[in-house]
Amino acid sequence: MNEASLIGLCAATVSFGALLYLAALGEMVSEKAGILNLGVEGMMAMGAVTGFMTALEFGNPWLALAVAVMAGALTALLHGWFTVVLGAEQVVSGLSLTILGLGLAAYLGKNAVGRPPGAVLAPVDWPLLSDIRWLGPVLFQQSPMVYLSVLAGVVVWFVLSRTRTGLALRAAGESASTADAAGHSVVGLRLTAVAVGGGLAGASGAYLTLSLTPQWAEGITAGRGWIAVALVIFGAWKPGRVALGALLFGGTLALKTRLQTFGVEFSPILLSMLPYLLTIGVLVVISVRARNRPSPAPASLGIAYRREER
Amino acid sequence: MSRPVLIRREQALRGGQPLSFAIGLVVALTIGIVLLLGAGHDPVAVYERMFVAALGDPDSWSVTLNRAVPLGLAGLAVAIAGSMGLWNIGAEGQILAGAMMAAGVARIGEGWPGPVLVTAILVGGVVGGGLWALGPAVARSRIGVNEILTTLMLNEVALRLTQWLIHGPWKDPDSFNFPLAPMIPDHGRLPALFGRAHVGVIVALVVIVLFAVAVNRTAWGFELRVAGSSGATARYAGISLERKTAAVLVMAGGVAGLAGGIELAGTADRLTEGISNGFGYAGIIVAALALMRPSGVAAVAVLFGAVQIGGQSIQTMGVSSSVSTILQALILFGAIGAGVLSRYQVRMVPGDPDDPGGDGVQVGGTT
Repeated sequence: MNEASLIGLCAATVSFGALLYLAALGEMVSEKAGILNLGVEGMMAMGAVTGFMTALEFGNPWLALAVAVMAGALTALLHGWFTVVLGAEQVVSGLSLTILGLGLAAYLGKNAVGRPPGAVLAPVDWPLLSDIRWLGPVLFQQSPMVYLSVLAGVVVWFVLSRTRTGLALRAAGESASTADAAGHSVVGLRLTAVAVGGGLAGASGAYLTLSLTPQWAEGITAGRGWIAVALVIFGAWKPGRVALGALLFGGTLALKTRLQTFGVEFSPILLSMLPYLLTIGVLVVISVRARNRPSPAPASLGIAYRREER
Repeated sequence: MSRPVLIRREQALRGGQPLSFAIGLVVALTIGIVLLLGAGHDPVAVYERMFVAALGDPDSWSVTLNRAVPLGLAGLAVAIAGSMGLWNIGAEGQILAGAMMAAGVARIGEGWPGPVLVTAILVGGVVGGGLWALGPAVARSRIGVNEILTTLMLNEVALRLTQWLIHGPWKDPDSFNFPLAPMIPDHGRLPALFGRAHVGVIVALVVIVLFAVAVNRTAWGFELRVAGSSGATARYAGISLERKTAAVLVMAGGVAGLAGGIELAGTADRLTEGISNGFGYAGIIVAALALMRPSGVAAVAVLFGAVQIGGQSIQTMGVSSSVSTILQALILFGAIGAGVLSRYQVRMVPGDPDDPGGDGVQVGGTT
């Protein structure tokens, strides 16, 4: 194991961490408002394919990112329409959204498979900072998406915990009838949260095809949407803890391709089980603790709100 | 000024579900036409090919029925848990676990006589799937761990365990270094029924009927449904929720695992990482369309089998097989939408749209 490969591992940990963080942050916003969206994988795929194809067509990576965010948000709003407005089962609708998103992405991207990218989000080279030994390559030569994910995390934290809108949104997820009685529109808040969540998942998908592995292939999301769902639980619905979890889970993704380089005789496939097993562990701990203290999960998560039944 | 509101009906419309299903199908096929036209295909020709390939003659029926087996059993695995108000999202992983266990049995029992080996493979599938659901079952019944999330996470774990077996310990030495598990012995395969259909079709149908009867017609099933509709009522009536919860989830896992065993011995003939191929997730849609009733699962599964087999056939016309994936999800969304409308009626009521008063849910209201 030499210094260069260790730096490479750390840099990749940050890259993968940011990828997971964007999607997990989106899922967290949605869940905070009370809507479980198991369609992350599908929304990521939609963002990934629309971003890649926009870049092919117009050659502008930022326009591509914007389109991917829109595509993710629109895909999510389908879930929003069915679960928030019509009160359909969130689990069924979300899983169907994953199936629909993956199918639609494969259909749309059929002719983009194997083509070189039309544009990429090139790494930012921060003046002075990028030259720092160790820290430079790990933190200051990353894709702009890494910095955007940090920004998104700060914005989400600020809005959720420091603004009235955030308070109302959390109220919609904790006790929808209370939020309603306080004069907030539960439907409006929840739809907004779902759309924001989808936009972030779309951005995560675009990060994949515009920067991390700049190409489109069916199944490119490779189950990372599920890791994002896991991360929200692992991070106990808190932006900071989700970020730490993202680095940890990102680390397992980064390590997966590098185990052999480090001379470790352990199957990379078995290593990739780790995020899911850790999350199950956290779920058990949360439940055991729930006997003495409240669960960190939003109380109305997964429950449809119909005013007539309040 | 008047505005539309949804008013909940006293009772759901009779025959609402088959109608919703039909509406979902029409909606899906209509959107499918738009997609096909957008990609420059002839929708009529594509749909005709799909129909003929899936349901055109006995041979295509046999393929469709084979496909309906894992879909129906996965749907049943979701519906059994759903009858008790539990979510088994883990059929995908349970199918894989069943297939792994069944493949293990096939390795050990190579020298056993055919009928013994076939039976052992199927039993192995049941045991594997049941064991895979055991963790979530115990965690849910003992400490209340959310089964949606544990079963979901275990899907990804099962997938990686399967990959590891195929790439590692169970890799076929004669596969020229491809990550392929060896074929199961010939006498371990499921006997044929007609055309390409295997006896798995009968096994699955019997299991589905047994569970439909058990849930709808026995005291056990009644307790299950009471527990599903109200935990408090069930506890008051002296029904032990803990044991029932665990038993139901393990049974659901066993049913999904049986699908894994049948796929191994019936169609795949070797353990592959794609042996479940999303059947577990499609099973959730199947169960949702059957309103979580075991009795409705078989019919929906045959239709979904037809859509999937039809979807594979159009690849030769240069049409992406993802069309069938899209159709399956759209059928569900269309049916959910129609299902809501069958439970509600739309009425125009006078009033200011900004006035939050009123008894109904405002249609599309974001105010």
